[in-house]
Amino acid sequence: MTVHSDPGIVQNRRDSEHGPKILVFACRWCAGIGADGAGRQRLPLPADFRVIAVECASRIDPDTVLKSFSEGVDGVAILGCHLDGCRYNRANHATAKRMALLSTLLESVGIGADRLLTSFGTAHEGHQFADLMRRFYERLQGMPQQCRFETDPQAVSGGGVDHA
Amino acid sequence: MLDTVRKIAKGLLGQGTMDGVLGLAVGDGGVSPRLFEDPGDLGSLSLASKWPLAKIAVTVLGQCPDAYRLAVVCRGCDERALIELGKRNRIDTRRLHVIGVACSGEQAERCLCQQPWPSRVDAGVRAQGADLSGNDQVRQYLDSDRGVRLEKWREAFSRCIKCYGCRNACPVCNCSPCRLEDGLWVNRGEIAPDMFSFHLTRAMHVADACVACGACQDACPVGIPLMLLQLPMRAELHRSYQYEAGTESERHSPLLSNYIDEPAGGISIPDWTDSLRKNHGS
Amino acid sequence: MGPEFVKTVCPYCGSGCGLILMVRDGKVVGTYPDRFHPVSRGALCIKGWTAKEFIHHPDRLTAPLLKSGGRFKEISWDEAIGHMNERFDRTIAQYGAQAVGGLCSARCTNEENYLFQKLIRLGFGSNNVDHCARLCHGPTVAAMGRALGSGAMTNSIADFDGTECILAIGSNAAETFPVPMGELYRARERGARLIVVDPRTTEMAKNADSHLPLRPGTDIPLLNGMMSHILKCGLADQEYIDRRTEGFDQLVAYLKGWSPERAAEICGVAPDLIRQTAEIYARSRSAMVLFCMGITQHVCGTSNVFAVCDLALLCGHVGKDHSGICPLRGQCNVQGACDMGGLPAVLPGYQQVADIQKRNRFEAQWGAALPQTPGQTVTAAMAANDRQIRSVYVMGENPVMSDPNRSHTIEFLKNLDFLVVQDIFHTDTTRLADLVLPAACFAEKDGTFTNTERRVQLLRKAVDPPGQALDDYTILCRVARARGLDFTYADPSEVMDEIASLAPLYGGIRYGRLGSEGLQWPCPDYDHPGTPVLHREQFSRGQALFVVPEYSPPKEMPDERYPLVLITGRMFCHYHTGTMTRRSPFLDRETDRPFVEVHPRDASCRGICNGDAIRVTTRRGAIVTAARVTDRVGEGMIFASFHFSEAPADALTNDALDPISNVPEFKACAAEIVREAACPDH
Repeated sequence: MTVHSDPGIVQNRRDSEHGPKILVFACRWCAGIGADGAGRQRLPLPADFRVIAVECASRIDPDTVLKSFSEGVDGVAILGCHLDGCRYNRANHATAKRMALLSTLLESVGIGADRLLTSFGTAHEGHQFADLMRRFYERLQGMPQQCRFETDPQAVSGGGVDHA
Repeated sequence: MLDTVRKIAKGLLGQGTMDGVLGLAVGDGGVSPRLFEDPGDLGSLSLASKWPLAKIAVTVLGQCPDAYRLAVVCRGCDERALIELGKRNRIDTRRLHVIGVACSGEQAERCLCQQPWPSRVDAGVRAQGADLSGNDQVRQYLDSDRGVRLEKWREAFSRCIKCYGCRNACPVCNCSPCRLEDGLWVNRGEIAPDMFSFHLTRAMHVADACVACGACQDACPVGIPLMLLQLPMRAELHRSYQYEAGTESERHSPLLSNYIDEPAGGISIPDWTDSLRKNHGS
Repeated sequence: MGPEFVKTVCPYCGSGCGLILMVRDGKVVGTYPDRFHPVSRGALCIKGWTAKEFIHHPDRLTAPLLKSGGRFKEISWDEAIGHMNERFDRTIAQYGAQAVGGLCSARCTNEENYLFQKLIRLGFGSNNVDHCARLCHGPTVAAMGRALGSGAMTNSIADFDGTECILAIGSNAAETFPVPMGELYRARERGARLIVVDPRTTEMAKNADSHLPLRPGTDIPLLNGMMSHILKCGLADQEYIDRRTEGFDQLVAYLKGWSPERAAEICGVAPDLIRQTAEIYARSRSAMVLFCMGITQHVCGTSNVFAVCDLALLCGHVGKDHSGICPLRGQCNVQGACDMGGLPAVLPGYQQVADIQKRNRFEAQWGAALPQTPGQTVTAAMAANDRQIRSVYVMGENPVMSDPNRSHTIEFLKNLDFLVVQDIFHTDTTRLADLVLPAACFAEKDGTFTNTERRVQLLRKAVDPPGQALDDYTILCRVARARGLDFTYADPSEVMDEIASLAPLYGGIRYGRLGSEGLQWPCPDYDHPGTPVLHREQFSRGQALFVVPEYSPPKEMPDERYPLVLITGRMFCHYHTGTMTRRSPFLDRETDRPFVEVHPRDASCRGICNGDAIRVTTRRGAIVTAARVTDRVGEGMIFASFHFSEAPADALTNDALDPISNVPEFKACAAEIVREAACPDH
């Protein structure tokens, strides 16, 4: 595929300073507490990550994860409570199952199953959260940068600008 | 084989057990689907090579009055699709009767089909399922290393002309509204649509209902190997849950139940709790 | 009773894909692809899949409408036909038969187009019959007709699979010929090299092996550069040239003045790329050159096609399997409308009006004298606007939206004494009419369409037209009979029988033979199986002719006041003037607002962001539309599609015409854009 790009439009080119972008969906019960804790304790966290708090990890479906990749996120993390401890009647089981299947798809298409991190109950304390993020970040550093399909929220350009 | 099917159809219509038989007919315009309603008018019935009728059956049922009973000339994949639709309350399977036709070995090879026969074979003989191990396309798209795979798939999806044929043809695809038509998720007014928000999203939506009929791939004008997209997930569902869409009319997709009711790999609560340590429990 | 399934042909582009309609209670309730169709093979594009959406739309015209006091009132068919005949007779009495003209339709069947031109010629005594091929492949018909003896695609769509090289010039097939684009991709997978020549970076260009982004309107220099290099390297197929062509020496003399360097200066493609492309095309053992509006819609459109033919003949790539010249005809029956003589200078089967012998044959069969002087082309008549033509009968056309220089078109139509328009929906053109006749769409009639590969296919009637609408065949017969002509046919198949008796190309076409795959003309007699590949042993004119192309740059080049080049064209989810697709909810949702593609640098130096409202101005007019900032267009060029009546691109386009075929220069004129307002979605 031929590549067409113009430095003016492609705003998300990775320079050496910026690492992989991580989007975290954390349920507010366990994982959210861990995320807060890590922040409060000022534990070292990767620069380019954002946390979106949800009521329960089951709120996030594969579509959301896929859309995140489409927007140029390099890694998506879904963090929920321990599989024994979901407040919403084992809804996190559904999440775990769906994401397991999604990871199969991501791997078979060549995006890589390890771009999707799921954690149930391993990030409910600050240091656990920070450690998980650090390990995820390191894993992603070794992978090619994801490219954002559209470089501007409303830019309309045919085809993908592909640097993979 | 055709005579057998004709006889069955004639019997069903003649005795009034069924109001209509959906099959293929050969006419002056060639082969086309047809709803046979007159037992004396089955002369044009044809078993021409594959034409998945499950999706058409759904529309036919929707168009007919509630009491209408429909028999469908089904291959294995057709029947499995109808079973999945029944499970999801899209059709009332009590109105349906399957006339089961087994596919030939050659057809199975073309479709990469492992089970080219319906649950009850009324006509035809069970043939051997396809052997995927030697398949070239499977190798290129699924077995080579990650970078090669990604390049192959990106190239395939870059040909997409957004005809929606894959979605329109898929028998288990019938949500209304469809997320692929939603401008917030999929950009409108341009081709090729984004791989993630269109193709991979669609693949996930049908993941646990896909019966590998190949209607999607057949409807694709630009030859994207859509069956190969679903293959690994179907294999995964089989491996983890011994589940295959369309084979059990009473068992819902394991994705809809928790690990106690539908354990993965036989373990009720997996011992893995984050995918960095153990890859998503697989 | 359950639903029925009716096999027919898609009403949109010239691919002629097989379509199966599900019908229940007099309504089309579903569309399915035909898995065994020779062209579409189980696929459809987004328009084909939604072809049922406009059929039962509430906007469908259901009764004849007469304009009185500025408003339309419903009248009966008898009144309507009586009225129109009376008005036409009045014009003929006052100004002569040459004052009457008619536009037949690339959207109507062969039978209907045949009857239309028969009515205009026999009933009104005028040769002023034309249609929208004038706006698109008129140059193709003229140029290939002269060079090869036949103006149609030389091979079949299936022939792409197996060729070594596909040179696509001025075509955006991924959006305008989606299903055959799949054939091109399939060919590529089997090893064919796809080379795309287009100023824009379309999907097709991105997915090609090579893209030559030439400056708009510089095709002849590029092709000359290629040909000069082929000659210089000794890559011309001399044996083929000696055996099958004439006029080679003139071409050689002409090309002496050309080189890849000279070409590069004009067209902007690097000389090495020109050389490389030429060598790939010439060295391939088989090669298909396909072209579309990028070649034809220029003031030198006819010459452009000559240049394409010269290139193909030079390398011996015509008249063989997987080697040929492929104009892609954009409408479901534009090929047929041309075949049926819907043109001012030819009778059905491309038999010249001026040829006494041919004319006599028609006169003998039709039982009356025919007008001898070829008529005017619609574009020339409109450009002249000299009131020579006073009354016009339009069938299935929307010139206000499709012809260049909209204000001029409107003026021409308003100046007419009488305008009757026959269509399925109100359009910008019907609103100017004195009389509007409600017609049937593709699903409501029997008949035949001829696709781009000369395949004559059967339409089968699935439902009745709404209200009092009638199919065009019925309307034309009634109008003709009211004029005293003997238009008595039991059904459209009898019309085809008559066509077969008069047009040798269609000699062997009978409804009973069309079956599931149709027949590709020439099909001269009843036993003939049709012709997938033309010019195998001989060209239609005997030897093929090298014609020296005459290059002229676009009539209106960018200047200080209008520094951008405006290119107009189509997009994948809408069709031409949008009368059908804008009323199809699925398609209109896909794109419901007009837009113009603008290069990021052109946008940023004018302070334009993506989605902003912009005013696009040319010397003909201005429209307000949304900017789509993208690098699909090059710097200095903008692209507008002509589907949107709220911002009609043809308000801007230039009615400068190619002198030979009178095609307007839709693909290049000078424009400027200015930001009007911020994007409404912010």
